[in-house]
Amino acid sequence: MNSDSFDAIVIGGGHAGSEAARVLARSGLSVALVTLLPEAIGRMSCNPAIGGLAKGNLVKEIDALGGMMAEVTDESGIQFRVLNRSKGPAVQGPRAQCDRDLYASAVRNTLSREPLISIVAGQVRALEVRDQKIEGVKLQDGRILRSRAVIITTGTFLRALMHSGETRTVGGRFGEPAAETLSDSLRDLGLVLGRLKTGTPPRVEKDSVDFSRMQPQPGDEHPRPFSILTDRLPQRQVLCHLTYTSPAAHDLIRQNLHRAPMYSGQISAIGPRYCPSIEDKVVRFADKERHHVFVEPEGLQHPWLYLNGVSTSLPADVQDAVVRSLPGFEKSVIARYGYAVEYDFVNPEQLDASLRVRGVRGLYLAGQINGTSGYEEAAAQGLVAGINAAQEILDREPLIVGRDQAYLGVMIDDLVTQGTEEPYRMFTSRAEHRLLLGCDSVYERLSPIAERLGLLDDERKLRVEQRVGRTERAREQLRAAELFPNRETVEWGSTFGLEFSGPTTLARLAQRPEFDLARFAEEARAAGRLSDAVAAIEALRDEELEGVVNELRYSGYLDKQAREAEAFRRDEGLGIPQAFSYRVDGLSNELVEKLNFIRPASLGQAARIKGMTPAAISILRLHLRKGTPRGRAFERTPAAI
Amino acid sequence: MSGDAPLFDTIVAPATPPGQSALALVRMDGPEALSILRRLTGKTDFDPRVASHVRLEEQGIPLDDAVAIYYQRPRSFTGNDLVEVILHGNPALVGRLIRAVTTLGGRIAEPGEFSERAVLNGKLDLLQAESIADLIASRTALQSRLSLANLDGRLSAAAVRTRETLLQAISRLEAALDFSDEGYEFIERGELAGLITGAIEEVRQITSTYERGRATTRGLTAVILGQPNAGKSTLLNFLCGSERAIVTPIPGTTRDLIRETIEIGGLPVTFIDTAGLRESADVVEAIGISRARKAADQADLVLYLVDATKGLDGPDRSTLNEYPSSILVFTKVDLRRQPEGGLGIALGERPEVELLMSRLDSEVRSRFVPPEGSPTIVNERQNALFVDCGQSLEAAQRAIESGAGEEIIVVDLKRAAHSLALLVGAITEEDLLREIFSKFCIGK
Repeated sequence: MNSDSFDAIVIGGGHAGSEAARVLARSGLSVALVTLLPEAIGRMSCNPAIGGLAKGNLVKEIDALGGMMAEVTDESGIQFRVLNRSKGPAVQGPRAQCDRDLYASAVRNTLSREPLISIVAGQVRALEVRDQKIEGVKLQDGRILRSRAVIITTGTFLRALMHSGETRTVGGRFGEPAAETLSDSLRDLGLVLGRLKTGTPPRVEKDSVDFSRMQPQPGDEHPRPFSILTDRLPQRQVLCHLTYTSPAAHDLIRQNLHRAPMYSGQISAIGPRYCPSIEDKVVRFADKERHHVFVEPEGLQHPWLYLNGVSTSLPADVQDAVVRSLPGFEKSVIARYGYAVEYDFVNPEQLDASLRVRGVRGLYLAGQINGTSGYEEAAAQGLVAGINAAQEILDREPLIVGRDQAYLGVMIDDLVTQGTEEPYRMFTSRAEHRLLLGCDSVYERLSPIAERLGLLDDERKLRVEQRVGRTERAREQLRAAELFPNRETVEWGSTFGLEFSGPTTLARLAQRPEFDLARFAEEARAAGRLSDAVAAIEALRDEELEGVVNELRYSGYLDKQAREAEAFRRDEGLGIPQAFSYRVDGLSNELVEKLNFIRPASLGQAARIKGMTPAAISILRLHLRKGTPRGRAFERTPAAI
Repeated sequence: MSGDAPLFDTIVAPATPPGQSALALVRMDGPEALSILRRLTGKTDFDPRVASHVRLEEQGIPLDDAVAIYYQRPRSFTGNDLVEVILHGNPALVGRLIRAVTTLGGRIAEPGEFSERAVLNGKLDLLQAESIADLIASRTALQSRLSLANLDGRLSAAAVRTRETLLQAISRLEAALDFSDEGYEFIERGELAGLITGAIEEVRQITSTYERGRATTRGLTAVILGQPNAGKSTLLNFLCGSERAIVTPIPGTTRDLIRETIEIGGLPVTFIDTAGLRESADVVEAIGISRARKAADQADLVLYLVDATKGLDGPDRSTLNEYPSSILVFTKVDLRRQPEGGLGIALGERPEVELLMSRLDSEVRSRFVPPEGSPTIVNERQNALFVDCGQSLEAAQRAIESGAGEEIIVVDLKRAAHSLALLVGAITEEDLLREIFSKFCIGK
């Protein structure tokens, strides 16, 4: 084998790139992972944390599909918390604070365990494309690497520029270079690029801070691992802390806005609306007297703290003053100042549903280059792009995950159907079928898909089967466990607050909002009652039990959403032929252009395009009928991708 | 701007009912409408919105003298090119014109197709389109006013307002879910509960208009009951010979009972004649009685007549018990003063029916006529969607009370908002439009 010839090339070793590379290798394909700086593989640019609301779901979906993010998070996680703990599984967000060095080395170790991955240090000068098909890449040093697929996962590095106050430095992350010429290659292919920005907060010397002045934020008492493969979390668990900004700090920021690159006009790129810098927050939420600042350790041994909530690109002297105004930080020393980075991105409307560039075979884009923000969003895309590149190389159908199947399906559909103009972040509200996408049902939904694609390792397969078995057994047992209101049982029940008047089952009792099934199981075990049901319940992991109870409590709602999902799938099945002409009476020119560009595969997808009106959908629907617009039966054309 | 593949073909239909009349109006809509008009008239210049005198010809043979008006898209009822031809009201001529148009490439329109195009082109929303059908079918001034109000968008506005409130509540709930760790309070339970209660009340007010709204559109039914010779047929004949009678027969009935319609309280009230009983004075046939009872069970108004000279007897009282809301009327009070407890009328040489008529008027107005100015729903589709909306809101209320999370409450609120969107046609589901418009008449 020619040492410069691979099945696939991945450009960029971040969260998206590492997922892509690993899944390609696991599919038996040789991969070159080209990176500007091999020692930066797995580095977290910003918050040393994984997961959160909606993002935690993405991480579990990655795990269910055989990706690596959940595993490396568990290996390096030093504080685990489930956000929205008190709410239902559909909106809970598991989250972990990680030791950033352990995380990065876990990523590098995972990649190094794959013999088919070759790390290539270098910068890609240009893509090699011929006849609308990717052939490889050309490096700055002149080497040409050949491949059948290329996945670009360059994150924030395309023509990247860092800003800290008035200072500008070329580079995509502190201390690292930028990718200079790849953007030109993309433009040459006809892609339209935009510019985005993102920011990061200052890091502070741990020893210069007084924690007694802050509120401690412990992790969960029983931390839940992300991955189904994890039995025990190896790292010591630590505290985080909470402090607040103050009106004085806000005044300081307001007085110096003209020196903040975004407000001074130095950067015109658009920043993330939902991860705003502290400047943004102070301006937009002017009436709020204080904002949260979560103080997070960068690692177990790491000397620095990460200040979550004060992302900024204000000049150094202002950062000093603002940080010093936080309770506990009066004598603090900033180890690294916050900065903003602006970079090129490709509007993902230009990709199809498999994350492939429209019109170029074998070329995929994944991660922040597509305009998303967040490690989890990137990793999920990287995994899907890697899977699809493998599928293409192996001459198989691409994997398209539906909006009713996973958050990553929602994300990719949003990106390719509507594009994005500001950094896209995942939220639970983006999912119409949110109740069906909770963490409690991830493996049931996605692992069968992974298995069909040959991506489910034996260990995972076994554990998923066991999990499904456990939860099924618990459901059966709950339905079968009967309680009769004879005196003895009623008396026993009243000793721990259980009241019931007619014959009932444990399943029905569990539907009561105030009923604590775990507690009941304890009591029943002690009393030697309902031993089968008790065994089944106690065999469940915490989140599995929560899921089973939630299903019972909200079965009506889950059914409703399931029916809505069916209706959704029907519309997705109303295929639009590839050659369909959108030049149709009643559709505005802009809409026609948009439709021709995106070429939705189905009427359902067309309906999601920005600017589509209900009347336009009706018109399209009429027009899709064969023959005259009226009176003929609707013919379903299979969607051609 | 014209597309390469026209969605709308050219349709034609008469807009006036069949039969002889002074004038008939034929409409053509679509890309070929103007060119077909030109070929039919030999005239090429038609300024939009100008009525021109034309001579219609069919392949050289004169057809009729007519007036033609061309509306250029998008400034027409449908939003497409539209042509109206006003010709003499001779069914044969109308038929020939339509045939001529179809020979030249037009197609006969399906029921409601013109209105459907108006909705597709965004000229009207669904509720407004439905109001047109209602307006055409209206038989009293009150009915017309109601239809016009809905055509003006009064009902749509109410639905849109409530939907807005719901969408705001939904977005705040979503924010509470997605930003729960920012420390901001997006909506407090009490406020949310209050919003939903308010919306339920708004919807309830609107659904409570259905009975009245439907009555207004369809009219009411009334049945006169009573023993033989109580004076039922006399009263019926009297009412129908009066100036209140509505002469237009109701189309499409399948019953074989005689019906006469008169206007009471602003609404058309159709009296169903149970005077089939009058034939045999001695035998009250089981079938006849059951038919009368069935009619009375379904009627909006029931009058029970008793001959004042005979007075109330046992069978009278038991029937009255079965219809407690019926109006008790004593007839022939010119011959004998009426007993207590009912209205008196006399239908002899000098009729005295004022008491009855004013009682009927006030009964209709208080029970069936919708209050002026309030949004009123007039058909089953509208009712069903508002009822669905109300049910979803009540489910949301129960969810709040049982302490369910925001992600659960939001499901119900979204369904409620969805029903309202379907109402005005802001979203449409498959083939719903066709189903709605198929209930219209041809030419609308």
